[in-house]
Amino acid sequence: MKKKLLSVLLAAAMVFGISFYAAAEEGVTDTEIHIGQWGPQTGPAAAWGSVARGTDAYFKMINDEGGINGRKLVLHMFDDGYNPAKTMAGVKELQEGKGMFAWVSGVGTATGLAVKEYLMEKKIPWVGPASGSQVWTNPPSKYLFADYPLYYIEAKALCNYGATKLGKKKFAMIYQNDDYGKNGLAGAQEELGKLGLKLVEAVPVEVTDTDLKPHVMKLKQSEADVVLLWVTPSHAVRTIGTGAAMQFAPQWMSTSTCSDFPFMNTISKGLWTNVIAASFGEVPDSPNPLMQKYKKAHEKYAAKEERWGVFFYAGFGFVEPAVEALKRCGKDVTRERFVKEMEGLKNFKGILGKVNFKPFNEKDPSSRQGTNEVFLVQCTETSGYKMLTDWTKYE
Amino acid sequence: MDMKRDYYEDVKLFTSGVGFFWFLVLMVFLAAYPFLVKNYYVYVANYIAINIIVVIGLNILVGYTGQISLGHAGFFAIGAYGTLILMTKLSFPFLLALPVSALIASVFGFLLGLPALRLEGPYLSIATLGFGLTITRVIGKIEFFGGRQGLHAPELVIGPWHLNTDRDFYYLLMVITVLMTVGARNLIKTRVGRAFVAIRDADIAAETMGVNLVFYKTLAFAVSAFYTGIAGGLFAFVLRFIEPELFSLFMSIMFLAMVVVGGLGSIMGSIAGACLLGWLDLQLRNILSLPYIGSWLESLSKSYFSLTGVSNIQFILFGLIMVLIMLFEPLGIFGIWIRTKKYWKTWPF
Amino acid sequence: MLDFLQMVVSGIAVGSSYALMGLAMVIIYKTSEVPNFAQGEMALISVFFAFMLLSHYGIPSYIAFPSTLAFAAILGFFLEFTVLRRAKNPNVLGMIVITIGLEMILLGLVSWKFGADHKDMPFPISPYESFAIGKMFVSTLEVLTLCVALVMMVTLFLFFRFSKLGMAVKATQQNRSAARLMGIRTNRIMMFTWGMSSVVGCVAGLLLTPVSMDPFMMWDPMLKGFASAVLGGMTSLPGAVFGAYMLGIIENLFGGYVSIEFKSVVAFVIIVLVLCVKPSGLFARHYVKKV
Repeated sequence: MKKKLLSVLLAAAMVFGISFYAAAEEGVTDTEIHIGQWGPQTGPAAAWGSVARGTDAYFKMINDEGGINGRKLVLHMFDDGYNPAKTMAGVKELQEGKGMFAWVSGVGTATGLAVKEYLMEKKIPWVGPASGSQVWTNPPSKYLFADYPLYYIEAKALCNYGATKLGKKKFAMIYQNDDYGKNGLAGAQEELGKLGLKLVEAVPVEVTDTDLKPHVMKLKQSEADVVLLWVTPSHAVRTIGTGAAMQFAPQWMSTSTCSDFPFMNTISKGLWTNVIAASFGEVPDSPNPLMQKYKKAHEKYAAKEERWGVFFYAGFGFVEPAVEALKRCGKDVTRERFVKEMEGLKNFKGILGKVNFKPFNEKDPSSRQGTNEVFLVQCTETSGYKMLTDWTKYE
Repeated sequence: MDMKRDYYEDVKLFTSGVGFFWFLVLMVFLAAYPFLVKNYYVYVANYIAINIIVVIGLNILVGYTGQISLGHAGFFAIGAYGTLILMTKLSFPFLLALPVSALIASVFGFLLGLPALRLEGPYLSIATLGFGLTITRVIGKIEFFGGRQGLHAPELVIGPWHLNTDRDFYYLLMVITVLMTVGARNLIKTRVGRAFVAIRDADIAAETMGVNLVFYKTLAFAVSAFYTGIAGGLFAFVLRFIEPELFSLFMSIMFLAMVVVGGLGSIMGSIAGACLLGWLDLQLRNILSLPYIGSWLESLSKSYFSLTGVSNIQFILFGLIMVLIMLFEPLGIFGIWIRTKKYWKTWPF
Repeated sequence: MLDFLQMVVSGIAVGSSYALMGLAMVIIYKTSEVPNFAQGEMALISVFFAFMLLSHYGIPSYIAFPSTLAFAAILGFFLEFTVLRRAKNPNVLGMIVITIGLEMILLGLVSWKFGADHKDMPFPISPYESFAIGKMFVSTLEVLTLCVALVMMVTLFLFFRFSKLGMAVKATQQNRSAARLMGIRTNRIMMFTWGMSSVVGCVAGLLLTPVSMDPFMMWDPMLKGFASAVLGGMTSLPGAVFGAYMLGIIENLFGGYVSIEFKSVVAFVIIVLVLCVKPSGLFARHYVKKV
């Protein structure tokens, strides 16, 4: 009975309000599409703020090229200082005030987790969280599309390379004691287990620690010949620096977080040479035409102090699939259509690995984990990139 | 201030009809508030209400009893984690889980109060600071508490009501906040409160007058921790997600700053301090989108500073406001209020 | 045994930077009875000043470092003169909040000017060079830090013991009004102590920069310095240094043998235990209040 009434009402609404149906989705006008993003510009995690500034430059570039099917992209980014309570505040203010069509990127696992439920309940699409945690797609949610290769996968790739290509046997790991580090730890344990090896030492480090001597002592005692660095850039530099002072020089391997070789080699005063890192996107000096184009956008739109760093152009990369899907939507920009177009992305190649999504299946994380492709690079003496592998997919 | 003639007059909740009238006006305003503003501002109000409860609790300790604590984020964490764990793992109803976890917090408060018997000043602040840091580390270590991944809040159901939007939760929160405020006020006006104040002013003198120092000092810690625990449990439902890193030392410092900026030893001051700093904390990020000021700041950064760090103006302003208030009025906002009141009472003389 | 010795050596090395921060905090606490939460950030701004001189203007280090120390002194004078002296009838908590406010302002200024990225400080000594004693390794920078900390402690100790100015500082600390009656300009003394403490903090900061430099680099050393000063007794200079070395060694041993996860909080637990026995720290004389 109730259903019948509802359908009658719906039909009536459709008859009386064609305009209502044709009216665009929240956050979409005839000339603009409003997109939200958060990122820490202040606080201890502020170094990752460049992701949001990258996306800003990307949108400016798109708008100067004429926008998407006649509509300009308007980015509303705000600073949350890596504090989930502030992320929540900013997301609510923008969503309920100006009305966002969708959210893109957004740095951090904790900050993202705080708002995930809110966005999903309201059925607002969110593309490309800037963190490779498993929480985004395990279990998957219909409106959340992740395109940062899992830290877990990066760890597997590095371990696999170290054991099979370099023939190393003793792996150790220093990991940040949070979701980021533990995802990596799980990946390394899993892959080494498959190869019949195991971690000889796994040392947790707290974000606030500044003295890493005891940590490096442990690594040294384990006599590891490969050490995986699953920490922040400053901790990575401290670790290998302390190692160098203790004359402990294994093969260091690091996550994509520290894959910005020119930068890492500068702040480590040259110690970063020969470090192997996983990378989720093209390298900074890549001749890839898209990269060249983005580099021009960087020169044109970014502030003069802005470094052409991995996480700056990652702000382009994480958002590319969303922009592509918006393009494919044509004139009809609605959330349902957008989700459908996202699901239709097959082998989409931007500056990240190939991105694939599938129609939503709550049992299949890969329906929402767009890419798991990484490649490995090694830092040369001139802070250049030496390709060790091509884009490789891991499960 | 009029002369009080007897004890009952002193402990009366409302000293005059006018006071009662304003109280009623405030209640009506609070009840109507969610319908007057956008949902976002309801969230802001919730956030501030949480801060108010903590700051009142901390003021009982700092302002009235004269102790110092840089570890209240620890009690806050215990309240938040306790409530969620009791609800999800042991299926307690919310209204039971909240006071139980606050009681757990107050047990920890009591324990922290024990070394505090002998410590004061910087010694006490380092001891409490250590407590705050250790608690979050321990919570993060235990996988049963969700480890470093954090916990999501379950659905909140009280009797027939499902309180899952900011508006619904707002009413529950306001009822608790008003109750806690009145409770604190009553506590301060009675025997216990007078004992606290006596300890603050001169603990040895108080002891000779028959105030049991061990009992009342630890009680002050326990009561303060209880308030903070309640606030923590409520906070878990405002954010609906908690993780150990949230309860940082910075949070403890902010609580202390709210107490001092609001006014030591004043409940009105606590409310004012929590409102001002809580609001600034959430709203300062919008400074760059203000007309004129925003563009001026940007051009300033372009020529003298850096555009990538322009958001740090929030910090500068926040610090500046704190410093200025404290420079001009050691009693904080409450002191400013008293002064304006006095000024207008005798105006134009 | 070798590991044990290496840990002790590492502990002493890290303790030296705590010791310098601890000394800086003690100097201010001795006169104003305020734990100065802005200490780390005062050092931070001076360090970034040095960074600016060295890498933006290419000034050679033998000019840049002395001018940085001068800058630090002026910064200390300036903050005391313009901010702390202006507080009306200050209470301790009010002063603490003022220093917290200052901390935020200074941190904000540095991050506004230099952004959040890590910096590469052109420091004359590489932090990665080390020499071996038997099979233990000590880096050159650590030895330098250790020497600086000890020299600093001895100098300050001699200064307070034998110089006229040092006596005046001590007098101000013990009884301000009496000191003023004796003809000491206590205001200037206060200003002077802030400048002095800022310089000591700045030295600590400079010695930390070669390893890693970003706007949040001073927060943890400041806390640890504060903690070690408390452990040694907030008013005692040798106490702060001793506390710092104890803290460094305990942290390293605890990290090595018990649990690395709780390494950075174990210090505080030990402090609480020590304070239960000696409520005013290890070295300061416990002040018994008279009614």
